[in-house]
Parts: sequence; structure tokens; C-alpha cells
Amino acid sequence: MNKVALTLRVNGESHDVLVEPRKLLSDTLREDCRLTGTHVGCEHGACGACTVLVGGRPLLACLTFAVQMVEHEITTIESVAQDGQLSPVQQALHEEHGLQCGFCTPGIVMTFEAFLKENPDPSEEQIRDALSGNLCRCTGYHNIVAAIKKAATRMQGSDGYVAP
Amino acid sequence: MSHPEFRYIGKPEPRMEDYRFLTGHGRYIDDIEVPGALHACFVRSPHAHARIAAIGIEAARKMPGVVTIVTGRELSEWTTRLRMAPPITGLHPVEMASLPVDRVRFQGDPVACIVAADRYLAEDAAEQVIVDYEVLEAVTDMWQALQPGSPRVDETLSSNFLSHQTYVNGDPATRKREAYRVVESTFSQHRQTHVPIETRGCIALWDEGRQHLTFHVGCQAPHPYRTQLATRLRLTENQVTVISPDVGGGFGQKITLYREELTVAALARHLKRPVRWREDRLENLTASTQAREDFCRTRAAVDAEGRLLSLELEILEDFGAYCFYPGNYLARVVAMILTGPYKVQDYAFDVKVVLTNKVGNAPMRAPMSVTSWVMEGTMDAIARELGRDPVEVRRINMLAATDLPYTMATKEVLADITPRETLEAGLRVIDCTGFRARQTEARREGRYLGLGICAVVESTTYGSAFYKAAGIPGSGHEAAWVRIEPSGVVNASVGLGPTGQGYETAMANAVADGLGVSPQQVRIHLGHTDIAPYGMGSRGARGGTAGGGTLYLCALDAREKVLAIAARMLGVTDAVPLRMLDGTVERREGSDWVPAHLDLGDIARTAYLDPLALPDGMSPGLEFHKTYDPPPMTYSNATHFCEVEVDTATGGIRLVRYLVAEDCGTLLSPVVVEGQQHGAIAMGLSGALFEHVQYDETGQNLSGSFADYLIATAHELPNFEILPMHTPNRSTPAGLKGMAEGGVMGAIGAVTNAVNDALAPFGAVVNRQPLSPMYIRELLRGKV
Repeated sequence: MNKVALTLRVNGESHDVLVEPRKLLSDTLREDCRLTGTHVGCEHGACGACTVLVGGRPLLACLTFAVQMVEHEITTIESVAQDGQLSPVQQALHEEHGLQCGFCTPGIVMTFEAFLKENPDPSEEQIRDALSGNLCRCTGYHNIVAAIKKAATRMQGSDGYVAP
Repeated sequence: MSHPEFRYIGKPEPRMEDYRFLTGHGRYIDDIEVPGALHACFVRSPHAHARIAAIGIEAARKMPGVVTIVTGRELSEWTTRLRMAPPITGLHPVEMASLPVDRVRFQGDPVACIVAADRYLAEDAAEQVIVDYEVLEAVTDMWQALQPGSPRVDETLSSNFLSHQTYVNGDPATRKREAYRVVESTFSQHRQTHVPIETRGCIALWDEGRQHLTFHVGCQAPHPYRTQLATRLRLTENQVTVISPDVGGGFGQKITLYREELTVAALARHLKRPVRWREDRLENLTASTQAREDFCRTRAAVDAEGRLLSLELEILEDFGAYCFYPGNYLARVVAMILTGPYKVQDYAFDVKVVLTNKVGNAPMRAPMSVTSWVMEGTMDAIARELGRDPVEVRRINMLAATDLPYTMATKEVLADITPRETLEAGLRVIDCTGFRARQTEARREGRYLGLGICAVVESTTYGSAFYKAAGIPGSGHEAAWVRIEPSGVVNASVGLGPTGQGYETAMANAVADGLGVSPQQVRIHLGHTDIAPYGMGSRGARGGTAGGGTLYLCALDAREKVLAIAARMLGVTDAVPLRMLDGTVERREGSDWVPAHLDLGDIARTAYLDPLALPDGMSPGLEFHKTYDPPPMTYSNATHFCEVEVDTATGGIRLVRYLVAEDCGTLLSPVVVEGQQHGAIAMGLSGALFEHVQYDETGQNLSGSFADYLIATAHELPNFEILPMHTPNRSTPAGLKGMAEGGVMGAIGAVTNAVNDALAPFGAVVNRQPLSPMYIRELLRGKV
């Protein structure tokens, strides 16, 4: 299959890649942009491990072709922490032990980076609903839910938390 | 448990390994860049059972990017077969080719391997391989497998019977005759699979000049794996390095060497080029390994109050088509520990294992998962049949502290467990009386609540003596090293294979408290066979006691030498007590500890760079190695409580509340332990309610996607309340017990007992899993 030249905008940088039109965004990010933080867990849109943000909204990179992404702004897990400083979602996941093997974690972080912007004060039910698109085999979700609650509270500035 | 001797063990600090995972900088198999690596893809059988008449590879060979295509014929030249023939009475020896040559045994069995420039091209070519199959009748359930004249899964055996063991202690037959009642119960546990979110995968690099294979693979037991890989490739163990990087979950699926991995390694050697493979999810669900699927029957002879006089257990297990493990391995442990927290000496078991045309079985987190459901389901059945309170039936049979140590009917010894304590404490928190009132009230409104209790005695660690006694080949010892570098920082390693549990944190605590440094001074190195000592890896909840225990003992050795050097440097005699806290030496003055103005860096520099200043006869350097064989078995215990609401119109089950009171000894890291408790309970609940590997009558797997193989999401699972009731084991280093599988055991039993409690008004009893809405409706039809 003939390859096509594309320019992808990822984390504010341009990546010139040469890929087959059938190449998945997940594979392109990992192999051509060398951003391996986006994980591939099922390749059929069910596990959420490959969640990235496109135009600020979550999208499953395994159900998207790279060629569809021209002119779109893609955000991956690698850009979430700034200068080594974890985001409130990441920091809360660390404090609440909301991750174990870490394979599903980038997808969960990306889901809630977007979710908490639209739902700054979510109920537990809403958090569990949003999280239901990300499979985690290690944690049983309890601590992830606790972490998202904590992150939401902090982002609202209501617990007096100052980032370390 | 807090312990005055420990500064870090037992302290709930967040994990040290989190940063890389949170920021996308974890390094899993597929994240490792290998320039020039080729990609493998397997052609798999669409039939459950067939003869391979011919494999046509010409069209595939001409496809773009294809480098080579191999079948079982090449592999049989390049590798040796797997022979599974441990000397176990009643177990038939079996063999497995590296890839099937003339017959496939399950849908998904690999028949050829394509190597191409990339994964897309390899998959394109795989579609062009034409295999001519002569389809054979398949054996798709374990009852059919036992029937005379049934097709044979393994032609070298005379039937599908793989393993049969029996055992009798005391005189159960007489007890049955004497009994007030014999209560019979059955339990059918369905087929499940491990589903690590990272599928299997590997990278093989062959160094032709050094004649050395470097093999990257996510692995729970890197050294035994390396031994297998070297043997099967006819290489020596010093020609193979196995490196297990970050692993996205294992749960028992990533212990042993699989055929795909062996094929990739053999191809890299043959092609003299790096070859990599990443399993896709369809392959993982239909062709990796599966687990569970057993039928159990108990016959409990009881007196009028429900006191157990004897117990008999029958198990029939479906082991699938291939033996990656000895066939008796999983079911027999269930039989060994079934009676758990209860006093009964007249006990018999009969354990049969059969082959079928399904994916081969492997231990899955709690290979003995069914144990507690079977025992606690039996206790509930006794209570039902005698019209007694299930809590009372448990109380009159349960071991008390004064009964310990208790030699079970199977000669396993229970010690340092607290089943009564966790039961009673859990009952107080769950408020059983209050629940019964709510239950009665709800029933008036047509809502059906249920409370299930499940006591768990979790076998952990598995020392060498257990392996020997159970006739399982292998050892339960573990190995560790600790090296204090000249600057005073510490490197340490142990032969475990982490798959995400948090060992870097837990093991750093073991070293920190053993040696007297802070965990931040310690870096733990795992999973690399050239770096780690030869250990037995992670399986059977052995990481804590075998792994952490060995590291702790090794660190104690290190501390002894460090303090001896310190005494010499300070010019004090042995009579002056010294200690080291966070790497700083202190000396005793009267009743106080005062700074000795000496730290580990000073001592290490002396040990490495000024060895003539060391005490007489002491060797230079600060490197320590230790092996340790833990007790035959250690035990954790817990009582699980699950409240459910059953919707009788839809058959849906809502998890309302979940509580576990647990005693798992000294906690290397309470954070890590709590994570393991949550994860294990979640896996148990998910398995009991939703997950189901289904085959149709021709052996077609019907559960090859996450739309079919359902794993509980955040939406279905409850929050978990944990009542920590930890007491130390007195026969292990630091009082460790091990844990991480008991949650599965407890959840399976607690949720099922809860559903039975909810359905009691209808006289319905669930005795098989999964507890699907369809099954619940089937039981209630005509009764609601």
C-alpha cells in the first residue's frame, strides 16, 4: 500500500510522517512520533488504554487512522506533566494509589484531563460513568475514583492544596 | 500492623515507581525500540480439532515485506518438544510440539509464523497462507471428554483423562452413616481468562558473534523461563539473557514459556536478525491461556447443630488442550486446603482433570479460587438444610486461637491465622442485625437484598517442602542480593518478576528496615536474568514472604557487617550498641541513642577504598547474597462480606456494599497491599458476575472480543471497605505472610452466597457461575 506524507500536530509540535493510509493513529504516535506513552490494549475501541485528546476531547487512537488527523491538534500523555510537575489528576492518582501496572493509566489520565474541564464538580456516579470506558485489571477502580474526586476538589481550589 | 522495630515496613507511603507510569514513560515490551526488528504474526487454526493435511505458503511468501514463513516442521528441527512428565501418581505424561505439525487441538492453535518488515505486512501475508484441514470431531465439555468413545484430544493417551488423585483421612464413610444429615452441594465454576491489559509480546535478539540470545518478554518468573528457553533452543543457560521490562499485568498468564515466544526466539537465531511479536487482543482471548472451569461436589456429614463430622470433595476440571503446567497442579491445591478455617479431620477428595479442545489452562490469580466458594457455599447449604443461622454454623465449626497450630486432614499445618477474629470483627462492622431488618423491610416492598459471608484461608508462599509433598517439581526458595555502593547508596535485587504490584516500593522497604537506610537510598532491580539472582519468580502470592523475606534477611546480613565496620571506625568494642537509622550511625549512651557522626557513605568508602582499615579478617566491599527457603506454606486469612440487591424482574445483580476483614501479617507496604486487596476482590467479582470464555458445541470460541468477554468496569464495581486486622507470622522474616489472591477467593464466595440469601424467599439456589441475569431469571421463572 502506498504511503502518504502527513504532518501531525502532537503536543504542540509538528511531526512529518510517512505512513500507509490504513495505519492507526495509535501505531503512528508510538512508532513514527516515538511517543510510546499511548498504549494499545485491545485495538477494538473497548479498553480505553489508547485514549488521546484531539482538539481537547478524548478519542480512541486505535479506532482512528493517522491520515484523519491532519490539521487536528493531538495531545498525548507525554505533555500532561509540565517540567516534571504532575497535573492534579496525575498527582492525585499517585497519592491515592490509583495505578498499579500502569498500562491503562495514560488512557485514564487523558480521559479525566478532559472530563474535569467539562465537569469540574462531578458526583461519584458521574466519575464511575466516565471511567467505565477505561478497563483496569489491577485496581478495582476504587482508588482511581477516589483520586479523581481529590483532583476535582483541588482543581476547584477548595482544599487549600498547593502543588508540590 | 505497626511494629516498633520497623521504620518503613508498614508505613503507608505512596509508591516510588508511579512517576514513570503517570507520565507515559513506563517501558513495556512494545515501547522498546529495536532498529531493524522484523515482526512475527501467527496463522491460527479456525477449527477446534483438525488434521493438517497441507500448508500452502507460496502466495504468502510473495507478499510485500515477507522475509520468511515457518511451520511446525522447521520448529521441530530448531527446538525440542515440551515434555510434561513429573513423577506424580495418577498424572499421565504428555508432550507438546513447539508448533503443531500434523494436528491442531483448539481454535486458535498456531500452525505457521510469518516474519515480515512490519506487523501490518505480516498480517496481510498471514491471510494468504492456505491451510488444508481435515476437520475432526471436537471435545468441547468435560463430561463429553469422559465418555467412552469420545474423540481423543491427545492421541498418545488412551482417553481424555489427564490426572486423577484421591485421598482419605479418617473414616468419612462411617461418619456419614452416623450423621444427622449429609448435605450435598454442587458448584460449577466457568472458564475465564487472565486478560492483562498489556497482551503478551516479546523481542528476540540473536548475537551471532557471541552466540547469545537476548530475549525481552514480560515475565513473572524470568529465571525459570530462561532455563526453559535455553533448553528448548538447545542453548546453555549462559547463552540466554531474559529481560522483563515494565509489565502491564500478568495474573498468572506470564509465567511459563509459550510456543509463540519460543518460535520468535528460534526465528531470530535462524535469521540472525531481531524479531518481535505483539499478541493482539483476539489472540489473547482465544489463544493465550485460560483458567478455572471446574465442577465441584461436596458431601458434608453434620450433626443436628450443623457441626461437621466429615467432608468429601469431588472435583472435575477442564484443563483445555495442552499442558503448559502439570494437570494436577491447580485442582489439587483446592483439595489440599478446602477445609480452611474449619475443624474437620474425616476428609476425602477425588480430583479428576480432563483434556478438551480448548485453550490450555494456566494458573490465574487464585488458581485455587473456587475453594472458599465451595467451602462457604457448603456452610450456607448446611444452614439452609438445618434451618440454622449461617453465622452460627460457621461459629461452631471454626478454628479458635487455642486450636492452633492445627494440622488439617491433608496434613497441611495452619498457624498464626485469625479466622474467628476477622469473622466477628466483620460482623460488627457490617451490622448483621441491622441488615436483617432492612432485608425484611425491603422484601415487603418487593426488593430483594442479600448478605453473603465468605471466610478465606489463603495459601501463600509455597516453600520447597510443599512442592515436594505435593509431588510438584520445582522449588519455593528465593534469592536476593544487596550491594551498598562506595557512595553509600544501595542497589538490591531479588528473583521476582513484577507485573505491576509495586515491588519497587515494597522491596525497598524490606531492604531499608533490614539495613537501616531510608527507602529513597535503595534502588530495586528486577526481571533481568544477568542482574537478578536465580529466583523462582512471582506466583502463588510468594512475592512478599519469599521475595521480601529473602531481601530482608540479606539486608540484615549487610547491616551486621556495616555495624561491625562502624564499631572499628569508632574505636568502640562490641559491647557498645550501635544502630543505623536512615544511613546514619548512632550509639547507645545510657538509655539514649546519640549520633556517632558516621554515616553509611563513610563506612562504604572504607569497605571499598580502604580495606586495610577493616576489622581483622573481614573481606573488602559491601556485597551480600542470600537464599532462603520459606516454610512449606504460609497462610493469610480474611472474612468477606458482600451485600447485593437482585432485581427479580431482570435478574440483574447490584453490588451494594463490600467489606473485608483481613489478616495478612506484616505489610511491607500497606499501600501496595491495599491495592492488591482491591484488585483481587475486583477480579473475583468480575469473574463471578460477568467474565465467561464460551465455546460452542463445535469448539468455536464465542468470546473473542471485549464486547463478548465482559470485564467489570467502574460502573459495576462497588467501593471496598477494608478492616485491617494484621498479626505477624512468627516463623517468617519480619512476620510476613503473603497475600494477593485471597480477595478473588472471598469475592467469588461472598457474592454468590449473597445472591442465595437474596433469593431465599423463592427457594432458589445458584450453584453455577457466572451469575448472569439470564441465569438468575431462569431460576426465578414461574416463582416471582
